[in-house]
Amino acid sequence: MRFFIIICLIYSIKIYSQSDWIKWGKANYSYQIKDNFQHRDYSLDYQNPERFVIKSLADTYWLFISDVDGDNCSFNPTCSNFFLQSVEKTNIIQGSLMFFDRFTRDMDILGKVGNYPRVSDGHFFDPPSLYLMNQDSVKYSPPSFVVKNE
Amino acid sequence: MNKIFFLAIFICSISFPQEITSTKTDLFSLANTKKFADYLFCQRDYLRAINEYNRYLLKTKSDSIVFKIAFAYSKMEEFQNSINTFQSIPKNSELFLQAKLEILKLLFQSNNFVELRKKITNDSLENKNAQPLLNLSFLFTNDNLPEKNDFCKPFPSEDLNKVKNFYEWKKDPPYKSPVAAGILSAIIPGLGKFYTQKFWDGVWGFISSVGFAYLSYDNFHADHNFRGWLFGGLAVGFYGGNIYGSAASAQIYNAKIQFDFVSEVKNFLERNNYFIPKINFCQ
Repeated sequence: MRFFIIICLIYSIKIYSQSDWIKWGKANYSYQIKDNFQHRDYSLDYQNPERFVIKSLADTYWLFISDVDGDNCSFNPTCSNFFLQSVEKTNIIQGSLMFFDRFTRDMDILGKVGNYPRVSDGHFFDPPSLYLMNQDSVKYSPPSFVVKNE
Repeated sequence: MNKIFFLAIFICSISFPQEITSTKTDLFSLANTKKFADYLFCQRDYLRAINEYNRYLLKTKSDSIVFKIAFAYSKMEEFQNSINTFQSIPKNSELFLQAKLEILKLLFQSNNFVELRKKITNDSLENKNAQPLLNLSFLFTNDNLPEKNDFCKPFPSEDLNKVKNFYEWKKDPPYKSPVAAGILSAIIPGLGKFYTQKFWDGVWGFISSVGFAYLSYDNFHADHNFRGWLFGGLAVGFYGGNIYGSAASAQIYNAKIQFDFVSEVKNFLERNNYFIPKINFCQ
């Protein structure tokens, strides 16, 4: 029995010795729950009245509805962020039209899968740059893509 | 106990005879370095293969190894490094012509069509071999296309139909008009989205616009003016948003069509190895 144990020990040492495919470096695991909410910026821009009004509405919505309701928008950026970014990139009228269109697409519970690429956390990637009415700004990604730099 | 221990060590040592002899082998000899580098190369571990090939080149000169390094860079999509390495192959080498063709392929892959055309037209040697690449480069730019017959001439008969289709596509791409999509959605909400093949978006566009319009009408009818204006405003918003979104959707459709076309041409080129002779180092 002792002989058998010694053989096993020596064999196991020999088998696993100098096996460079086993890396002994420190593993950088994080057990922190990933924060799916976008980091909210509640600051207001007092210099620009248009932006002040829009941002106030968005802040109110975030504070009283969205943050309480949870991470329920299936898109990235979320509809409220999409609205803010749209207005920032265009103007209040075009931004609002883009938002209404986005809202219509968000209502669609059947056609989203297979129509949009996804970001790493599974949300559908749908940035305002696709809807600026500028063909050059449309960077198409097929639905099978996972967008990394969202 | 000691006897058993030594007996066990003896048995184990006999079981692994290669470990006893391995110390006698020079792992960094020229032949072994090349063998290991070739192994890494064929395993597609190109970065480490390049390191090993460079170690080999420190001891001896070899055009085929330089070629392999350049080839490995091209596989890693480090186009400029690859071009520079291919250019270092001397004119008297047997691989010189192949290296020049590989450079053309790399220029094509890196979308440097201006340089590609300059090289092909300046050098009669390349001109003879790289005419298909030159012609296909017109599919990726907005320059005027050559005549159809001239365009298809350098391709083999089995690829002719495919190339003709590419030519026709480029000549008259099946784009959707954003204006037409907007007008269609103005006539019937959601119709423009149907035109751009976003059917469910079209359905929801119709439901939201018409639904809120009906709610507005119904509330005005019942003398609920505030709600009438509220729903009326939302109906106008969704209606306008749908027109705008249909036009934008046509642009996205066009980008998709363009993307699919470019992917198809690139796949076609990959299948034919960019119409240059294929070298297989890992047979």
